[in-house]
Amino acid sequence: MGNDVLERNLVLVERMGLTRGLPPEVISTMLDYAMSLRMGGAPCVRVLKFLIPATVVPQEAIVRAVAWLCVGKIAISTQVLFLKWVLTFFDMIDSKDHLRSIYGFIFNFVTEEHLCPYICHLLYLLTRKECVRPFRVRKLLDLQAKLGRQPFLLHLLSLYKVFCPELVTTALPSKLRGGFKNHVTPWKGVLNAIQKRNTGQVTSDIRLTIGVKDGSNSRKRKCNHLQLPSLNSAVQRNLSSTNSRKVFPLEQLHSFPELLDNLHRIELPSQMGSLLGSSLALCYLDYVQDDSAFLRLNFWLGHALHEEFLFCSREGGSGCSSETLHFLNRLISTQNFLQEGFFSTESFLYKFLNVWDGSLLRPQILGLLSHIPVVPSSCIHQLLFEPLMQLFFSSTLFFKCSVIECLNDMLLKWLTWHSVYSVEDGLDISLNSHTPMNMTLSGFMDSVMELVLFVGRLATVGLQLEGCSSLLLSFVLDFYETVCDMFLKFELPLVVMPPVGVFYPALFATDPVSVDRLCFIMCRYKQNLTAAKFQQQEAKHVFHISSQTYREFNRYQLLMVSTLWNSRLFQPGMAVEVDHNLLALSKVPEPSASFTLIRHPAFVGYALDFHLKCWPERKDMDLKSVKAGKHWEWYLEFLFSHGYLGLQQFVQSNINWHPGSGTKSQGQGDGQPTNG
Amino acid sequence: MAERSSTMKTPLNKALAQRRSKRRYSRRSCGEGTYLGYTSGRQTVLKIPTSRKKPKSRDITNQVDPDQVALLVKKEWHLSYVTPLYQFRYTMLKTYSKELSAFLVSEKQQGQTIETGQELCFKVNISVVLGLAETNQDAETIYIQILSKQVFAAKDEAQKVVWSGLLTCINGDVDYLRSLPPEFVSLPLLCTSGPESLSALVKSWLKKTFDCCFGPICITSTNLQWLAALWTGCHPTKNIQYLKLAWTIPTQPPMDVTYKVNPQDVWKLWDSARLDDGAEDSINIEEVNSFIRGLQTHFFRHFRLDLSAGSLMRVSTALGSAHHSGKIKITSPDYMTTVLQLLTECALLKMPI
Repeated sequence: MGNDVLERNLVLVERMGLTRGLPPEVISTMLDYAMSLRMGGAPCVRVLKFLIPATVVPQEAIVRAVAWLCVGKIAISTQVLFLKWVLTFFDMIDSKDHLRSIYGFIFNFVTEEHLCPYICHLLYLLTRKECVRPFRVRKLLDLQAKLGRQPFLLHLLSLYKVFCPELVTTALPSKLRGGFKNHVTPWKGVLNAIQKRNTGQVTSDIRLTIGVKDGSNSRKRKCNHLQLPSLNSAVQRNLSSTNSRKVFPLEQLHSFPELLDNLHRIELPSQMGSLLGSSLALCYLDYVQDDSAFLRLNFWLGHALHEEFLFCSREGGSGCSSETLHFLNRLISTQNFLQEGFFSTESFLYKFLNVWDGSLLRPQILGLLSHIPVVPSSCIHQLLFEPLMQLFFSSTLFFKCSVIECLNDMLLKWLTWHSVYSVEDGLDISLNSHTPMNMTLSGFMDSVMELVLFVGRLATVGLQLEGCSSLLLSFVLDFYETVCDMFLKFELPLVVMPPVGVFYPALFATDPVSVDRLCFIMCRYKQNLTAAKFQQQEAKHVFHISSQTYREFNRYQLLMVSTLWNSRLFQPGMAVEVDHNLLALSKVPEPSASFTLIRHPAFVGYALDFHLKCWPERKDMDLKSVKAGKHWEWYLEFLFSHGYLGLQQFVQSNINWHPGSGTKSQGQGDGQPTNG
Repeated sequence: MAERSSTMKTPLNKALAQRRSKRRYSRRSCGEGTYLGYTSGRQTVLKIPTSRKKPKSRDITNQVDPDQVALLVKKEWHLSYVTPLYQFRYTMLKTYSKELSAFLVSEKQQGQTIETGQELCFKVNISVVLGLAETNQDAETIYIQILSKQVFAAKDEAQKVVWSGLLTCINGDVDYLRSLPPEFVSLPLLCTSGPESLSALVKSWLKKTFDCCFGPICITSTNLQWLAALWTGCHPTKNIQYLKLAWTIPTQPPMDVTYKVNPQDVWKLWDSARLDDGAEDSINIEEVNSFIRGLQTHFFRHFRLDLSAGSLMRVSTALGSAHHSGKIKITSPDYMTTVLQLLTECALLKMPI
């Protein structure tokens, strides 16, 4: 024939069908195409062979195919193949009511000798009481007389007898040997493979996962706590469910629009643990706000975590198996999805931190930890800080970095929570004070304060222990980038300066990035403090940032300007005062200028580079010449052009220096009017 | 540092408050791990008690149907903890019985394509043991019995009890029980007796039906010591006949030591361990410790072996026996509630939240 276009397209669909399965609408189109025999019998067989549904089979497709079957042009062997196909995917047909309404048409095929076993099986699956009619019984009995006591006929008849014993009066054997033959079909294996693959990548997918509980692949473990229960609807036995309200079981939910349409009549599953696998179900859970549902989920989750990690009764504890990993990752993605942590996870973590070695499943545990809700300041030390501190000081650099990162995430989440909920102006929320979320503003601020101070302490000691490692410093600066903006970004009237143990290592860091980031952070502090001060003047009683904070800020600011800009380090009145004689002993020329933008270890490389570019022929290096006149201006432009925007911002906002005017100038020092 | 004022925006509106309420139970959470060495003052915390009431002989047959009591004693029970049952109704026990038996049959038939003819048929009885509960907060105990019979068995052939189970809560921590919403029934202790396969099936049915979870309970050395002391204390009213303790000493290879003491002697030792200042009807952990130390010292004097280096694995008297691995046998109904109360505590301490 040589229809290349057809061939190419068929190959394309075939590959898709065999690797990922086909979506419902494709199934519908392809089935219609095949059964219509538009291209003859051969493509029909071929299409049927790769028609593997990815999710469901629309029943309309089957109804239409049966209509084509009635046309009677299809070869018997193809008809058999089609029926086998229907039987294989019967469970995936989205609903069966329309199929039942063409029960009579399907029944007609029963007389076709080759189709009879399959038709009987299909009818067996579709039969309802109302389908059992005297003429059908008669027909089956006739067939039985003709074909002998075939098991498929007997099965169907016995089902009829169950429904309407008065119609089927013949004696049937009380025990039937074997069920319907389980035909070996080409599709089963492919379908299993596809489903397995699909469930693997489903975490970000909105669809419900199929087959969470896949008995075949789970290793035989004696206590497999981490297996999600399968999504089953609750057994309905309450009278309330009979009052004609139709419920919609979660496991039948396949898309978000379906969720919206059925929002009012969705029924929670019998085991809440099963929700963890499905984002759609979680959407619903988040919407209903059902206390007991959450409590059930938490009981299950807490039990799983406790048994797996704390009690580890048998099997020598939990290893870092892929199941554990998978479970925790799923839990984390669930918490991300809901944007909050489960309280069972929280209480588990408080216990687990005490026995954790700091390396088992580190990313996952820290990921979970960053989700814990605001801890009241009265117990934050005991529950969180003490165990973390022990782990922090006895672990590697990388662990230290991850802890700081985790605490930064935690702080961000707390602050976000605060900024989201504080938008609503309202009553005092402390009325119902037994939940952390109903915390007062002051309680919340105390907790945040504790956390920030704690990280300050960790960072100070950590930096000392690790020799001011740039990596650790970078994580610490990340944290302070969050802290410095608490007022402007999150509307939290709290400003906490970094401790000296963080400030000096950053200022005297050997890498320019840290210094640049410190500059940026100081600029943000300045903006926050200015805004706070402004608001304070506007509305007298809003809040009050202590003069101590302003003083601390001014001291840092002044020190930075005089160090980087004015060559006034170590001079009296500065934060760092060193005796002249002592400095002289070090034999460093001009010690007070040793950390200017030219001689600072982080920038000296740029200064040399700049010098080389300006005076390529000069043999003797004289960095002082960079400071002179226009060159200074160019040097700064040169630095900024390397992307040191923090530095640029710092210079522009704190120093009266106008490019072009050529005057290099006095640092203004305190951008902030001193407050006391 | 900043100071705050009441006019600062604080979060709240109805919806938000409601939203937050899902965390209501959270604050009970973190302190329970008393066995991990800390307690927290911010919530009701389940603590390991340091003193208990002196066991009182209570003729429970006055309150509880003697036939039911007979079912409870003289069986060896395996212990598990159970998280609270969701939507468990005492009025639906009949339905539950039917469902459970149908479940058992269907599970047993799984994988059997051709019926073998030796079909087992299960009959399940689920009943309430009224009168066993001690406080108003305690849910009434549930007794589950599985009988098996052949389908074609003769009418008069007796049905055989193949499995029994007990879901109970005796003197459970009141604050904990109160904090649960009314849809939940807390029966934290499950005692099972019968083949492991059936226990697993029953548990999986309970899991599916009431959305609860199970885990094993081990009776710790401390709790075994408590039991030894409590049982010994009963001697004046009920002859304990002997006190038998079994230790495992961590030597290479491990050594098991069984220590059997004459009831009169052990009673004297216990009596001398009792502190005078303590209230007459309560027992202190110090008393228990000094009692056990007394036994150990005596042993050391004779055999030069310090038992405190090992762990106590088993305690038995004529009133009952208990094993570290979570097995218990209660022989006398008189002091049954005391033992069940201790086990309820163990179970509650295992609750995840």
